[in-house]
Amino acid sequence: MVSTNPEKTRWMRGPSTPLRGALLGLLLERPGHGGDLANRLAARLGETWRVDTNDVYRLLEQLEKTGLAVSRDEPKRNNRRRTHLVYYPTDETSEALTLWMETLLPREPVRLGLQAKLSVAREQDAQRLLLALKAYERECLLLAQLVSPTDGRGRSWTALCLESTRDAVYAQLQTEIDWATRTRSRINEFLERDRNR
Amino acid sequence: MTPLLSFQNVSKRYPDGGREILVLDRISLEIDAGVSVGVYGKRRSGKSTLLRLAAGLALPDAGTICFEGRDIARMSGSDRSRLLRSEVAFMSAADWNANPGETVVDHVATSLGSEGLTIREARRRAMQVLDQVEIGAAGAQELTKALSLTERVRAMLARALAREPRLLVLDEPALFPSLQERDAFHALLRSLAQERNMALLVASEEMRALQGFGMLASLADGELVSTEARATVVPLPGRRRAAAERSGQ
Repeated sequence: MVSTNPEKTRWMRGPSTPLRGALLGLLLERPGHGGDLANRLAARLGETWRVDTNDVYRLLEQLEKTGLAVSRDEPKRNNRRRTHLVYYPTDETSEALTLWMETLLPREPVRLGLQAKLSVAREQDAQRLLLALKAYERECLLLAQLVSPTDGRGRSWTALCLESTRDAVYAQLQTEIDWATRTRSRINEFLERDRNR
Repeated sequence: MTPLLSFQNVSKRYPDGGREILVLDRISLEIDAGVSVGVYGKRRSGKSTLLRLAAGLALPDAGTICFEGRDIARMSGSDRSRLLRSEVAFMSAADWNANPGETVVDHVATSLGSEGLTIREARRRAMQVLDQVEIGAAGAQELTKALSLTERVRAMLARALAREPRLLVLDEPALFPSLQERDAFHALLRSLAQERNMALLVASEEMRALQGFGMLASLADGELVSTEARATVVPLPGRRRAAAERSGQ
């Protein structure tokens, strides 16, 4: 287990944490300038995430301030007379990524957070991901448990709306659990194959 | 307090061609009297195996299953069937197996055949329980072949409840013709379990079928994840005793 010094988790505050975490993963894979990292992030996370290049520059600056990234002015590849900032990981980046993988996420953006973790996870993060997915499954089950049941006898418009809303909640939680169990299954199969190799 | 039913590190394998499939992998679960537990899982996730083990219809390959502290696997065959016949009812909506020419009340009454009751007394008890599942006196005299899908499930429930079990194990509540009928059945099930202080263990492919349950679990690849930590981690006896001493029990 890595250290849980609050200083080391300060960068995990705020709604952009999943993007910051994913950027750390990308930096560890290979350094890049802001535009390159924004493109890689968008490609990795898919269309459902709206990745704004300006936001990525802002997030990289934040990561640099907290010592998790470092930038260097380097000549552009296609125009050597012009330069741009290329971001590199620091000695602390890998530990920060590991810590993020192990950190339980707050309720609302939990799926997005897990998705971001998966997008940049390293093979050594497999067990951390399995734990995070189990915690997420448990969270979904708890949420389902909190929904008050209906008796199916409502005939009023209000009862119909209430029951339909409950249906939506159950359907959403079911989808989330299915996704989490499927992902666990894939990781376990991978680990099994790896063991047999 | 001894739980009504407990699974401790229970594993179950099934042969599949030349290999074996691990259907349940070291499952631990405790169900107290009167508690409802819903297990959600996709098809082939191991739900039915878990329920068959809970109902004593199959035995584990590893681990122990205890009913009120008694290890089911160590009982003699007759003791096990006596215990399970009187304390546990198993219901699977897919297993409707009624003689089409018999009345609903007789269908329920015949399930009490081994209780040593007269047919008159068995019918009286059947009528009571049919009333509780909201099949009235007129419905009780219908032939089973005339029952609608919803009435059929209710008759199955009546048959399961007639022996007054302390644990009802229900595999996949049936598909109802309307959402309202489905929710009404689930509400009836919950209220009957509460009235009778009967534990429920229900598995379904649909989260909605598990609404209002005291504890929820999901099952996939033989692994169980549940809303209560003790369903996945059962403390060792020494630790449990130490915890009880600490809390002054």
